[in-house]
Amino acid sequence: MLGIDDPQIWLAYILCFVSAVGCMIYGALKWNDGSDDPEVEA
Amino acid sequence: MAVSTPILGMAILIYLMVVFYLGWVGYKKTKNTEDYMLAGRKVNPFVLAFSYGATFISTAAIIGFGGYAGAFGMGVLWLVFMNIFVGIFIAFIIFGSRTRRMGSNLKAVTFPELLGRRFQSRFIQGFSGALITIFMPLYAGGVLIGGARFMETALGVDYNIAVLILAIIVAAYVITGGLIAIMYTDALQGALMFIGMSILLVITYVKLGGVVEAHQALTNMAHLVPENLAAAGHTGWTTMPAFGSPTWWTLVSTIILGVGIGVLAQPQLAVRFMTVQSSRSLKRAVLSGGPFIFMMAGVAYIVGALSNVYFLETKGMISFDVVGGNIDKIIPEYINSAMPDYFVVFFLLTLLAAAMSTLSSQFHTMGTAFGHDLYREYIMKGKIAKTINITKAAIATTILISVALAYILPPGIIARATAIFFGLCAAAFLPMYAGAIFWKRMTKEGATASLLAGTFSSLFWLTFVHAKEASALGISKALFGVDTILTGTWTVVDPILIATPLALIVAVVVSLMTKPASQEHIDMCFK
Repeated sequence: MLGIDDPQIWLAYILCFVSAVGCMIYGALKWNDGSDDPEVEA
Repeated sequence: MAVSTPILGMAILIYLMVVFYLGWVGYKKTKNTEDYMLAGRKVNPFVLAFSYGATFISTAAIIGFGGYAGAFGMGVLWLVFMNIFVGIFIAFIIFGSRTRRMGSNLKAVTFPELLGRRFQSRFIQGFSGALITIFMPLYAGGVLIGGARFMETALGVDYNIAVLILAIIVAAYVITGGLIAIMYTDALQGALMFIGMSILLVITYVKLGGVVEAHQALTNMAHLVPENLAAAGHTGWTTMPAFGSPTWWTLVSTIILGVGIGVLAQPQLAVRFMTVQSSRSLKRAVLSGGPFIFMMAGVAYIVGALSNVYFLETKGMISFDVVGGNIDKIIPEYINSAMPDYFVVFFLLTLLAAAMSTLSSQFHTMGTAFGHDLYREYIMKGKIAKTINITKAAIATTILISVALAYILPPGIIARATAIFFGLCAAAFLPMYAGAIFWKRMTKEGATASLLAGTFSSLFWLTFVHAKEASALGISKALFGVDTILTGTWTVVDPILIATPLALIVAVVVSLMTKPASQEHIDMCFK
């Protein structure tokens, strides 16, 4: 896959992408989340 | 170097002017201790994500690990996955929210202070501060050397002067502007790094004929692995090293697990969770944090590995041979020969930004650890002057120590400094830190025992067993006449795999044997 024969490597390569994109999706979905969180006193 | 010095000089000048402007903004906005130590706990999520990433990724990560990928291949991509999944996702969502909340409940302004107040122990705060004060200058010295070497080759500045210039520039905005200045300059530096690395990735794949084609060409080169590397387990650039071989152990234990998990307990990173106003900011920061790390570490390692294809096509040699075995030169050599001139200028700026963003946080963390945690809170029991003034003096002192180390330490030891610091932090802090924020039953005695067990077992393993540090330090040789007191596979097993589990067991056993903290205190910590 992707010109890489060893599954241990292409899996890592794909996981890097998936985790980066996953972070973006998570951040976007939770953009307005956590409003129950009490604000910090200065 | 194909780049004309005036253009590069101009680019650096503009960059430095913006950096100083941000430093000045930080100075103007700093009104109290929380501003100076925690950027007022009101940092924007994007600034947090870029600042965290830019601090995390130093020149060493791009040049050093990129070069490692050039020599040993793409197995190190597992580290990128760990950096994103553990270093960003788990760190921000699981550790970050709790840390932020507890930090604000306990009014802690540094990482050691958070631990110290959670366990009601000045000793924990002082000892943690001392550990950072003693060992972080090694790590900062390493980054300083990297930055100064860059200025030496790119600008033709004398190395010794470059160390001073770099330290003075960073010191100026760190001491005056505190963490506000640091985080804003970090965000600028992070943005530069992001653009630089994106261009690097695209040009590399285009030059090598596409993603699959480039990888296939690299896969086809497996028979070119030098014999001595093959004997140590190297099987090619798109395959994992032979299971259980020395190369495999170094990759998996030191690099993937050591750096990948060690990041959770880095004081200069953990403190950043306390700089935002709400858990929502942490969740928003994940959006930019994940792709940022991918574009830094992922690109450096992919490009490092693929440099072999480029050098084989242009020079008929693998990267390792092109640089005569000095793998730190693989990325610079590749950039200089394969990239267009305008990009070389930009990339040099990227590297300078990477060095400065890591250095600034190191200086700030060492200064707060020494001035606030060790001196003011532990030695003087909190009964002396203002934290900001003491911290400023301590930052200046620790910078001088780092500069001195950059002059006197041999390159062999410096190269190990980052690994030593990461491993030590993981063993000393991780079980105690995780217990502090997740386990209400963890006691002061359990935390203290875990801190001491992690610290000393890690140092013991480094000094007497793990071959890379033990032979460089030479203490085992002097005492026992042998480089390492154990032999075989043990000498390539990283201290983190021994010391961290030990510290964890000690933390659990001692906590269960001792009296828990008062319910009132626990309620206050976890409210």
